[in-house]
Amino acid sequence: MIRFEQVAKRYPNGHVGLHELSFRARRGEFLFVTGHSGAGKSTLLRLLLAMERPTSGKLLLAGQDLGQISNAQIPFLRRQIGVVFQNHQLLFDRTVFNNIALPLQILGLSKAEITKRVDSALERVSLADKGELFPADLSTGQQQRVGIARAIVHQPALLLADEPTGNLDPRLAAEIMGVFEDINRLGTTVLIASHDLALIARMRHRMLTLQRGRLIGDGEAGQ
Amino acid sequence: MSTTRTPKVSERVAPKPADPQPAKKKRDDDDGPDFRTLLHAWLESHRASMADSLRRLGKQPIGSFFTCLVMAVALSMPMGLSLLLKNVEKLGGSWQRAAQISLYLKLDAGSKEGEALRDEIKHMPGVADALYVSRDQALEEFQQQSGLGEALRELPENPLPGVVVVTPTEVDKPALEALRQRLSELPKVEVAQLDLVWVERLAAILKLGDRFVFGLAVMLISALLLVIGNTIRLHIENRRTEIEVIKLVGGTDSYVRRPFLYMGALYGLGAGLLAWGILAFGLNWLNQAVVGLSGLYGSDFALGGVPASDGLSLLIGAVLLGYIGAWIAVARHLNELAPR
Repeated sequence: MIRFEQVAKRYPNGHVGLHELSFRARRGEFLFVTGHSGAGKSTLLRLLLAMERPTSGKLLLAGQDLGQISNAQIPFLRRQIGVVFQNHQLLFDRTVFNNIALPLQILGLSKAEITKRVDSALERVSLADKGELFPADLSTGQQQRVGIARAIVHQPALLLADEPTGNLDPRLAAEIMGVFEDINRLGTTVLIASHDLALIARMRHRMLTLQRGRLIGDGEAGQ
Repeated sequence: MSTTRTPKVSERVAPKPADPQPAKKKRDDDDGPDFRTLLHAWLESHRASMADSLRRLGKQPIGSFFTCLVMAVALSMPMGLSLLLKNVEKLGGSWQRAAQISLYLKLDAGSKEGEALRDEIKHMPGVADALYVSRDQALEEFQQQSGLGEALRELPENPLPGVVVVTPTEVDKPALEALRQRLSELPKVEVAQLDLVWVERLAAILKLGDRFVFGLAVMLISALLLVIGNTIRLHIENRRTEIEVIKLVGGTDSYVRRPFLYMGALYGLGAGLLAWGILAFGLNWLNQAVVGLSGLYGSDFALGGVPASDGLSLLIGAVLLGYIGAWIAVARHLNELAPR
């Protein structure tokens, strides 16, 4: 599903985001990327979302070379990916339903299909009765669930999450992780960037540890 | 492309683990969306963009109205001047009269010869009309207009020649000069006189008017594009987060651009309708004074309204300008809207 081969990312100001990073992730795998601030977690996610291109090396996502992908293909690549942000990135002038429906509207699905899929996504994140509310009416944890529902509603092959529990208390964080595990059990590859080692350790999934852009660890969390 | 909708993925992700798997139609994974689906998606996207743009304009009625009003004023100025010039051109008879050619006949030319010459001239190309003034009529008019009636009666014979007054079809210096030359070569014509200085002045005034309207139109259209561009830029700024999210979940540039283009076109439509209204009202208001003034000169001249064809051209032009202005604004800012 994901293949990094000696991928490096250097910025024009001289900062190096990633040093010759190599790893693979299978389809349907659940993995964490961890490391301190500046370790390269966000750079890795930005490369996978084609927000940036590798300076050198080869990065393949579902067989597509992200170093060679044209700008016109990027939106179509992103339709295969779901993204969850730490700050949710919800649109506060739209209802919860319309926030979640956004990727489906972009796909141009019929209203009936959108309603069906959004309702299903809402149910999966236990917000079935919140569709008509606005994000401001929800708690932080519920807002994060809306973000997750939006990320999975178009049935992506890969789900990326950048510090999805960063602003949540431990109980809510565990709850959100449970939602990710449910999604992963259905076959979606899940990659979560987080520095919450305690939470990661409890999950017992594969963990990649980055330090200053280099991969210094690759193994099951908690071992 | 929508690989996310292939059976494999939907079977894997869509239903909850506990849910029964819904029966799915067998479909080739490599097929991709068919034409009907793509067309539906495209139409649905346009409908949604249009509805969204209308809703956003409706949410700020005063701001939207004033933007349209500014655009309408910019549109109505050159259009109004152009309509005024067209109305002035309706006084065509007057312009042509100003460029009349006077043919002074030889003193031995009688009335019958004068009338025959008039009839011949009437059929010449470039001639709108010809009027014969006999020697007697000329003397009578001169006596009345000059106030020298008594003195003229003392003369042994009428010193004035017969005149054929020729009205040309067009006010164009080279054409008039050529016509004057042809007329001067006719038998019994002593002198063919044309006041070219006045004709030149007239042509220069018309040319100046046309250039002024053109220059003003170019200036105001540029201003209008700036107004719409700036308005759309502000809308883009206000929706930056939304645009970033749309791009992150797979929205194409054209998807991002679409609502702004509709918004530009809607601003244009509003401005076009307002400009049409302003022109209709303005011309009607001005007409009252024009009718009064022309009445004092014994004329029944009145300004015409806004012809439907001109009004429709104004509307279409305004919509296009709004669309183009929005396109330029979005094109300029689209690259800055990459997700951060």
